[in-house]
Amino acid sequence: MQKTNIDLPINESWTNNLSMRKTYLSIVALLLLLSGCKENFNPVVAPINTNILVVEGMINAGADSTIINLSRTVLVSEKTTTKPEIGATLTVESESNQAYPLSELTTKKGTYGSLPLNLDPSKKYRLRIRTANGTIYLSDFVETKVSPVIDLVGYDADVTKGLQIYVNTKDQTNKSRYYRWEYEETWIFYSAYQSLLMWDGKDVVGRSSANSIYQCWGNTKSSTIVLGSSVKLDKDVIFKQPIILNPSTSEKFTEKYSILVKQYTLTKEAYDFWQNLKKNTESLGSIFDAQPSQLTGNIHNQANPLEPVIGFISAGTIQKQRIYITKGELPGFTKPLNADCNAAVVEPTTPLDFPLYFQSGFTVPIAFVGTGVLASSKECVDCTLRGTNKKPAFWQ
Amino acid sequence: MRIVLLIIFCLFFSSAVFAQKDKEILYSVDFKQASINEVVKDLEAKSNYHFYYDVLQLDSLRITVSANQLTITNLLNKVFEGTNINFAIHNKNIFLIKGKTIDLDLAQAYYVNKVGKEPVSVKKNDTSYLANEKIQYATTANKLYEIGIKTNDPKSGTALLSGIIREPTTEALVKGASISIENSEIKAISNQDGFYSLNVPLGKHTLFIKAPNKNDANRQIMVYGDGKLNIDLKERVLTLKEVQILANKLSVVKNLEMGVSRLDLKTIKKVPSLFGEPDVLRVVLTLPGVQTVGEASTGFNVRGGSTDQNLILLNDATIYNPSHFFGFFSAFNPDIVKDIQLYKSTIPEKFGGRLSSVLEVNNRDGNKKKITGTAGIGIITSRFSIEGPIDSNKTSFILGGRATYSNWLLKLLPDAYENSKASFYDFNLGINHQFDQNNELSVAGYYSKDNFKLNSDTSYNYSNKNASIKWKHIFNSKLNVSFNLGTDFYDYSIMSDINPVNAYNLKFKINQSNFKSDFNYTLSEKHSLRFGLSAIYYKLNPGEFKPIGSESLVIEDIVQQEQALESAIYLGDEFKVSDNFAINAGLRYSLYNYLGPNTINNYAANLPITEENQISQTSFGKNKPIKTYHGPEIRMSARYNFTDDFSIKAAYNTLRQYIHLLSNTTAISPTDIYKLSDPNIKPQFGNQVSLGLYKNYNSKAIETSIEVYYKKIKDYLDYKSGASLIMNHHIETDIVSTKGKAYGIEFFIKKNAGKLTGWMSYAYSRTMLKMDNELIGEPINRGEYYPANHDKPHAFNFTGNYAFKQRYSLSLNVTYSTGRPITLPIAKYYYAGSERVFYTDRNAYRIPDYFRTDLAFNIEGNHKIDQTFHNSFTLGLYNLTGRKNAYSTYFVKENGVITGYKLSIFANILPFISYNIKF
Repeated sequence: MQKTNIDLPINESWTNNLSMRKTYLSIVALLLLLSGCKENFNPVVAPINTNILVVEGMINAGADSTIINLSRTVLVSEKTTTKPEIGATLTVESESNQAYPLSELTTKKGTYGSLPLNLDPSKKYRLRIRTANGTIYLSDFVETKVSPVIDLVGYDADVTKGLQIYVNTKDQTNKSRYYRWEYEETWIFYSAYQSLLMWDGKDVVGRSSANSIYQCWGNTKSSTIVLGSSVKLDKDVIFKQPIILNPSTSEKFTEKYSILVKQYTLTKEAYDFWQNLKKNTESLGSIFDAQPSQLTGNIHNQANPLEPVIGFISAGTIQKQRIYITKGELPGFTKPLNADCNAAVVEPTTPLDFPLYFQSGFTVPIAFVGTGVLASSKECVDCTLRGTNKKPAFWQ
Repeated sequence: MRIVLLIIFCLFFSSAVFAQKDKEILYSVDFKQASINEVVKDLEAKSNYHFYYDVLQLDSLRITVSANQLTITNLLNKVFEGTNINFAIHNKNIFLIKGKTIDLDLAQAYYVNKVGKEPVSVKKNDTSYLANEKIQYATTANKLYEIGIKTNDPKSGTALLSGIIREPTTEALVKGASISIENSEIKAISNQDGFYSLNVPLGKHTLFIKAPNKNDANRQIMVYGDGKLNIDLKERVLTLKEVQILANKLSVVKNLEMGVSRLDLKTIKKVPSLFGEPDVLRVVLTLPGVQTVGEASTGFNVRGGSTDQNLILLNDATIYNPSHFFGFFSAFNPDIVKDIQLYKSTIPEKFGGRLSSVLEVNNRDGNKKKITGTAGIGIITSRFSIEGPIDSNKTSFILGGRATYSNWLLKLLPDAYENSKASFYDFNLGINHQFDQNNELSVAGYYSKDNFKLNSDTSYNYSNKNASIKWKHIFNSKLNVSFNLGTDFYDYSIMSDINPVNAYNLKFKINQSNFKSDFNYTLSEKHSLRFGLSAIYYKLNPGEFKPIGSESLVIEDIVQQEQALESAIYLGDEFKVSDNFAINAGLRYSLYNYLGPNTINNYAANLPITEENQISQTSFGKNKPIKTYHGPEIRMSARYNFTDDFSIKAAYNTLRQYIHLLSNTTAISPTDIYKLSDPNIKPQFGNQVSLGLYKNYNSKAIETSIEVYYKKIKDYLDYKSGASLIMNHHIETDIVSTKGKAYGIEFFIKKNAGKLTGWMSYAYSRTMLKMDNELIGEPINRGEYYPANHDKPHAFNFTGNYAFKQRYSLSLNVTYSTGRPITLPIAKYYYAGSERVFYTDRNAYRIPDYFRTDLAFNIEGNHKIDQTFHNSFTLGLYNLTGRKNAYSTYFVKENGVITGYKLSIFANILPFISYNIKF
């Protein structure tokens, strides 16, 4: 509701009243400010066992691995989200009966992968799944969509609105038309206090630079579905497609920020599926939203076509582009100081005091101050709680 | 006046005495084309009477009469029968006067009452040609009005009495007034145009007239034959305890209508309202059988129908969007509205084109005597009205306007909303001209506009524009007609120009031109007929998508304009079989032509209508009929009275609807579009059977009723998953026709008189839909019945007003209903970087129940008639209990976790105040 995201007419939204919906949400927000309220709502739902197969991934026709993830749905009330489907046999098949097997990765349960397949983009492909209990699921044959190169990953910076990342792309052949984007953000950030000391289990000792927990790299992947289309335009051009908006006070802009944007080209059917998934799962149930509707993918149980299966298998190539933005390029962007962080000096009166303070790990020593030790809570000292202190391989 | 009466009394008493003595003398005459001089000469020769008259007045008269052995009075009656000559006998003097009546009537009446004898000395002939010249206006209670041609020998039998009832100061016609005859069952209700007709036995009667907000009145009549009597009813000014609904006392138990609610503005104004602005549509929602999906949505559902199945008429003009400001206000200016009528069961055959209900909103006619006005100030809106005569007393105008000043409210919001704007305004204009008693012309206009832009770069606006002209004509006491010609517009547009490459303007427009004529004909005492014809020509622009500015790459896209002609002819007969049993039989035949120019997509037979199954296109030229739908619509009802205040009624209705609102959101939103039936989208068809029991208690001060109904809907429109409705060139591929059924029982009790007035209703009702078309791949809920969005089984309403004193009253409104159905997420899974949900069957669960109480305190200024300004205050509290009613529930993903939220809009007690002034 607070987002200033522009609802571009050609980005699928106007055709589905989404921009209208947003306005309504704004109205609702307005009224809430006047006199309304928003409360948690946890309806009691009869426990219906829904154990639906979920298939996620795409047939990568290019020089990257094909990765497919299988899982099952769980009840909303359950704490875990992931219930991997293990022990299945997956094969990519072409119209001309070529088969490319995938194997289950040992590193991640329910994930199946192949070496780069380098498929012929003029052919159609499908995915065959044989689950551990022998049920066979087949996707429809899908066209291979080759994504055009991303023209530009750009940004608009504004202290009040924040940093808006956008994408420009075009297809001279006018064949792409339907697009989807994913992104991965990485940034440098620091803990509130730089710890020069550490607890080695027995005593407070000096911290080596290898064990530094002051500077870290944070990372997130896209969790919303970003779609765009140029069908309403007379050229296959995408101009300033919004990808992600971050406020200017975000920790992401402490020193250096990077974003990797991946671009997929879709068939109309795939685009419809993603749009339907977005509409059904990203904001629904409000009075001005479209009613939730059945989600139909292109994967079917061979023996029982009525069984719901979640997911849509596409085939194609992916285009990627990474950009870096440093703090110097963002004048006026400031992260407020963490007011929750306090440091205090621990003055040991008995030899047992240090173990008492530091053994649990909740309090971390920072520096010696006279006879005592300046210390603070782990959240304020240890950046690895929210990121990694190992520089990512790609980082420049 | 009193002296005059006394003199006249003396005059006639003495002549009556004399006349009795004179009775023995009988005369015989034989005149052929005789002049008055010849007649007088002859009679003076035969008797000792002397005649006095003005030769110039009477010299054109030729008399042909033959009489044998008559008294002088009877003879003169016979001689002057069929003329406008009155005579008076005093001693041996006979006076002849042409035309003038010199108020002899009262004396005659008095004489009849006192002496019980036939008046002998007076003759007053209201011959038919005279009656046409001047219709009697019955203004006083004690005068005797004679109806028909007086005969000296009253026969038995009945005569038809008709006329109009009006308010003398403003000359406004009074509808819904009850006219009854003392000590009898004979009653009539004045219609929309203030017109009434009544079959009365010949002879002398007392008429009782009652009407909302008018003083009860009675009139003395002497009926000799068919005739006209217009009645003046004075506005009730000195009391606040008016019994508005008294006029309908008769209607509930004794009329033939079922499921009809009438409310006048005074009633509407007493219902506590949001922000203190009296709201027509919110009051409608308190009636049994009327539901809404959400608190802030003006669309309403009648007996399970969808929101587009209501025909909303403002002075006979169709209003396509009856709301302002996202449904928080209705489009009707409460200062101008006279009354509303909602038909939800028996829909009169003169209406058609919608399945569920007709909501008629009627504006007042302007005051014909003096300039007056009102002004109201509320928190968010202000309004004014002014009315008065134009030149003569025959023409009047009424003008009303409203505007918001809500922008200041938006300014109080945080900076994030700094670009927000929302405003609306509307205007009503009415002009009424009374040519004469039989001809009246009225012109009405309506204009409304809403603009909004909220925290977004996209701006929206929508507008209603209506104009109509109506001519009412009374042919005679049995036949009257009204003709109506009008044009109605509704359009909206959405514009965004922030991104130059994508800058666009999207427009939707509908225009209808309509003509209708409605005739009322009183065939006999037992049959009154209604008939007429109507035609509507639709022109619909489903969408126009255009670039703005030179940089915009948007391709201009226009969805083909659609045209159609909907015509209908109808005939209805209200047949009083006996005193207790009456039938209303109506038939409407509607004909719909979808017209060119247009290009129609043809789809393969017996396959789902999808883009893949489109086989060809056919183009049609201008005004070529592309597709015709037609069929009869039956409107039947019957009533049987067990006793005077207890009756049973039954009704059966079928209806057809050719225009559809396409909306896949739960509530009406301003961007929903209308669609005309075409070769691929069939008209909706509905039928309803209902049965009701009606009982009045306590001398009709308390009305009760129970109604049950069962309703079926065919070819109701639902949407495929992910249907896109705007700028869709083949919308039929996204639409699925659905079946619906609705049934329910409604209990209603209303108290019309006393310090406490108001009504209370409870309804149990269900509305179920079913998508069992075999051509749909994945029907909703596997093709089983599922509850509609507005299915709320239990609904209770109480609306009451307690008048402590004449100037102070307290109003209370209590509403309870079962929560609206929703589709809940049941399972979750991880996909595309986020947790996502899988939903249950459509509408398998419900949001929490709805309960709200509102309170208002009304203070009227003093009621001295002569003061220039009258003012009133309303203070109140909306949602007295502060219950956090769920406006909606939704599930969103926040930081990758699914959270359910319940959103309440008016979650606290909301105080309001409004100030109104009348001058």
